[in-house]
This record gives sequence, C-alpha cells and structure tokens, in this order.
Amino acid sequence: MTVDVAARLRAARGGRLRRAQATTVVALRMMLHDKAKLIGTTLGVVFAVVLAAQQLGVLFGLLQKNTMFVDNAGADLWIVPPGTTQTAPGQRMSTALLDQARATPGVAVAAPLLMIGTSVTKPGGGSEATTLVGFDLDAGLGGPWNIVAGDVAALRAPDALFFEDAQREKFGGLNLGSVREVGGHKVRVVGFTWGLQPFGPPFAFADIDTVRDLGAVPADQLSFVLIKLAPGADRAAVAADLAARCPTAQVIATPTFHATIVSTLLRQQLGITFGTSTAFGLIIGFIIVALSMFSAVLDNLREYGTLKAIGLTSWDLTRMLIVQSIVYALLGSLIGLGLVALMSAGIRGPNLVVIVPRTLVLATPLIMSALCMLASVLALRRVRRLEPGMVFR
Amino acid sequence: MTLAIDARGLGKVFGAGALAFRALDAVDFQVTPGELVMLVGPSGSGKTTLLSILGCVLTATEGELRLFGERVSGRPERELPLLRRALIGFVFQGHNLIGALSARDNVRLVLESRGTTAHAARAEADALLAAVGLADKRDRLPAELSGGQRQRVAIARALAGAPPLVLADEPTAALDAHAGLEVTELLTRMCRERGTTVVVVTHDNRIFHLADRIVHIEDGRIVDGRLSGVAA
Repeated sequence: MTVDVAARLRAARGGRLRRAQATTVVALRMMLHDKAKLIGTTLGVVFAVVLAAQQLGVLFGLLQKNTMFVDNAGADLWIVPPGTTQTAPGQRMSTALLDQARATPGVAVAAPLLMIGTSVTKPGGGSEATTLVGFDLDAGLGGPWNIVAGDVAALRAPDALFFEDAQREKFGGLNLGSVREVGGHKVRVVGFTWGLQPFGPPFAFADIDTVRDLGAVPADQLSFVLIKLAPGADRAAVAADLAARCPTAQVIATPTFHATIVSTLLRQQLGITFGTSTAFGLIIGFIIVALSMFSAVLDNLREYGTLKAIGLTSWDLTRMLIVQSIVYALLGSLIGLGLVALMSAGIRGPNLVVIVPRTLVLATPLIMSALCMLASVLALRRVRRLEPGMVFR
Repeated sequence: MTLAIDARGLGKVFGAGALAFRALDAVDFQVTPGELVMLVGPSGSGKTTLLSILGCVLTATEGELRLFGERVSGRPERELPLLRRALIGFVFQGHNLIGALSARDNVRLVLESRGTTAHAARAEADALLAAVGLADKRDRLPAELSGGQRQRVAIARALAGAPPLVLADEPTAALDAHAGLEVTELLTRMCRERGTTVVVVTHDNRIFHLADRIVHIEDGRIVDGRLSGVAA
C-alpha cells in the first residue's frame, strides 16, 4: 500500500472550520453530560449576576431618587448657590437673581424655587420631618409629578399642600382634606404624589408663598432659580451670559447638575458600599466558575488527553473551554437577569425602585462572558500543559 | 520500498541528573507497510514509551524517526497533532472514548477533526460501526456498552479516515479472554483488509498468533524480532 503522505498532511491541515464546529459540539456535549457541574457552574454565574445586577439596580434606584427632582423640574438651567451638589434645603440666595435671569436674552421663563426642611405634627402627638418645596404655580417649574390624587391647581388655595402617598400612615393617616400643623400653621392636604422620596425627608409641595409663610422665609430669599430657555436658544451661551450676570451664584445645566449629584453620591458612601458588594458578587461568582471549570477539566483529564492524542491541538481544546465559558455566562446571565427582574418587581415601592437599565441588561452577558473566560484560565493552563502521552499510561 | 516505520537509534531519557531514567536505549525499529507487529516485553521494558514516540505523542531524546518516509524527529511539537491526524489511528488500553458522545459521534469526531463534512463523516462512522458489529448500538453512550463493545467502537474510531498506521496499546487488557481475542481478531482482520500497518503492544500471548512479527523489548532495547534486510 502506497501512502501519499503529502496529500494526507494537506487534507489534515485543511478543514479548520469543520474541526472548530466539531470541537464546539463536543464542548457542549461534555458540558451537558456532566449535569452536576453544569448546574453548579451555572449557579455560580447566576449568583454573581443576581448579586451584582441587584446591587447595581438598587444603586441606580437610589441615584434616581436623588436626581429625580432635577430630572422632573422641567428646567434647562439652574441657578444654585456655589458648590451645590444636591437638591435639598440649604444656603439661600437673593430674589434679585430672578430679575437678572429674566433680563437675560434666551431665557423664556425664570422661576423661583424654595426648599425648606420642616416637620409635620401628627394628630396624636409627635412629628415627622418633611422637605417643603415651594414653586411658582404660574411657571410650573419644580412642581409635583407622579400625582396619584388631587390637582396641582388646588395648591392655589391658602395653606394647601401635596404630600407623598407612601407617607400617609407615617403622618397620621393622611387623606385628601386632612388638616395637619406645619411650623405652627394649619395646612390642608389637597393631593398626593407617589415615590418622591429622596435620601432625606419626603417632598411636600406647595405654592412658594405658602412655603414662605410656613417657614417664615423672607420674601427676598429663594433656594434655586429654574430657567426654561426660549425656543432655539443656545444653552451654553445663555448659561455663560447668566454666569456673568450672577457672579455670586453658580449656573448649571440640568444634565450637568444630574451628573454632579451622581458623581458626588458615588464618591461618598454609595459608591463604596455598592461598589464593594457588586465586586464581592463578581468575585464569588468568578471563584465558583473557576473552581467548577477546573474541577470539570480534572475529572475529564483523560478525555482531554485522548482528544489531544487523536490530533486536536491545544488551541482546539482552548476553544472548547472558551465555548463552555461563554455558554455558562449566557445561561447564567439569562437566569440571573430573570431573577433580578422578578426581585425588582417584588421590591418596587415608593421608597425604592430597583432600576436595571437596558445597558446593564446588554452588558451583563458580555461582562459575564469575559469573567467566565478569565475564570477558565486555570482550567486552560491545565489543558494546555496536558501531555497527550498520558493516554498510554 | 518506503518503510511504514523507520526508527533508528531512538533513545528516551526521563528526568535529569541523578533522577534520570533511560527508558529507551538506541532502539532500531522498522515496520514494512501493511505489516502487523506485536511489541512484547515485561512491564517497564519500554514498550509503551516506544509506542508513544511512534504515535508522535512523545518525543525521543535521541535518534531519528520516519513514518512513511516523513521525518518526525526534529519537528516542532506544534506540528505533531497534524501528523497524528494525518497518519495515525489509536486504540487505547482503556478504550478512552469520550463519555459524553455516542458511539457514532466518537467516530465522527475523528473524521470531522480531519475536515470531513458532517454528512460524509456520519456515513463513514455508520459504515465502520456496522463493520465492527455495532450498527444497532451507534447511538449508545460508552457507559451503555459492554467492555468489548467499547473496544470495538475504539477500533472503529482508530480506523476512521483510513489512517495508514494504527497503534494499539494493550487492547485486550481490560477485556476477558474471549472478548480480548475477538476484538484483536477484528482489529487485525480490518487492518489487513485495508492494508493498514499495525503495531500492538501486548502481554497477551493468546493473541500472538495474529502477528506477522513479534518484537521483544527488554530494558529499553530490542532483543529479538528485528526486521531482516534493513540497512543500518
């Protein structure tokens, strides 16, 4: 029998794609065959996804709670006290800024906003803190949203307030028409909002003059000036003009204000707390996946040796482990994100909304694939170092 | 005539320094195409080391090896899988089938790893499994087959893609006497039909009669059974 070695070598050298397909199928079959490892490794990924995504979801929810006022106030620009990093009661500014703003070209509306911290006295005694938000009813900027009962127009009545629906029990069983005492004045409930609770006390909305009376705030003071631009006006140019006209204050665009609040919170305890727990979830998941995949390789060492002996290359075996890593990542991400969605729906309430943005949903399988591939390095090293001659021992 | 196997002066030393162990010492080993040679010797004599070097899964420390005229010695290790895919079929002592794959898929894997299309690989795998008498068990996993049946699947896998050389390491070791003889007879018959060169490492003297030549190896040296008429 004559053997055409050159032809056989040529044939064996070709067919890389077929080999890749065949080894992919083998990788998947080996995964599915060892069900205990499949379940264990997938659970590792699920654990990492649930912990990381849930923690990030809570973080995004908390950030949203603290940026929602800026996002829903309807302003394009804000004039705030210098160094402001949140929408909360604080240093007050002069109402002269309003006149400056109204005289600035490109400004369609300039409205005052007053925020004061106060407490609501309950009928049975005791009190609960709240943040009173006084806004200009005619301008509408900075008013309530997510209204579940009442009409904003009702705030035109003297001493009328909108309260947070979730705080009704806390404030002693509030209903429409209920009367409570704020700062020694009687106020009447004319509406409710839902979920407007930042880190601090919940918001209660009223006409700005009502809030001035309740807080005994002088008529020439305000907390913020909210600016609505005229159609076609250039935000940056108007902001620069306003900054020049209001040197004692800071002019900030709404997206920048939003970003400032987020970055401040992340630099402080929120970032550290949630960053740590998210990293912890990913690390635990990484360890579980790494150990499971390494153990799967050790259990099947002879099979991997056989694959090498029959002519598969180290790269073929590497591809098999990469395929397995990706499948574990996709499977775990799918189950994990499903669980997070269920948990988010269960947790969702006025105090906390778990927000899992689409970017996170799309990024999770990619991040987990990278994590699982990294976790397979131990297994890969073992497989690549494997001598095919071990099958004869 | 080009020899199927032409090994000259092969040596293999494991370890280094005081712990060095010489497993093979200046082995000359030649096999003609289509010949069935049994490599016998006591445990630790170097049979398996020689088979591993012939199978390109281990490299010799010294000497030169050619398979069908193709020089193996001196090739970088990354090229050895290609030689194995192109020229060699293996039958292992413990069958070494992939547990997650059916009998058919174990055979197909070898074919598809050489670039055979899925359809052709399936047809050839079925034909080989029919030839080893397992047509009705091709969808079974190895765990669902008897020891003899697994070794027959291993023979089908070794012959997949018609390699010109088959190396078998103690193919009867895990089988009872009857199954061992049956499996070796099947291997020799199928290889002879195809003109395949075969080297079998065995202790089992009940199968010696199937060999064209028996080569004895002791202490890493060939002591008997050299091919006559080969120039040194």
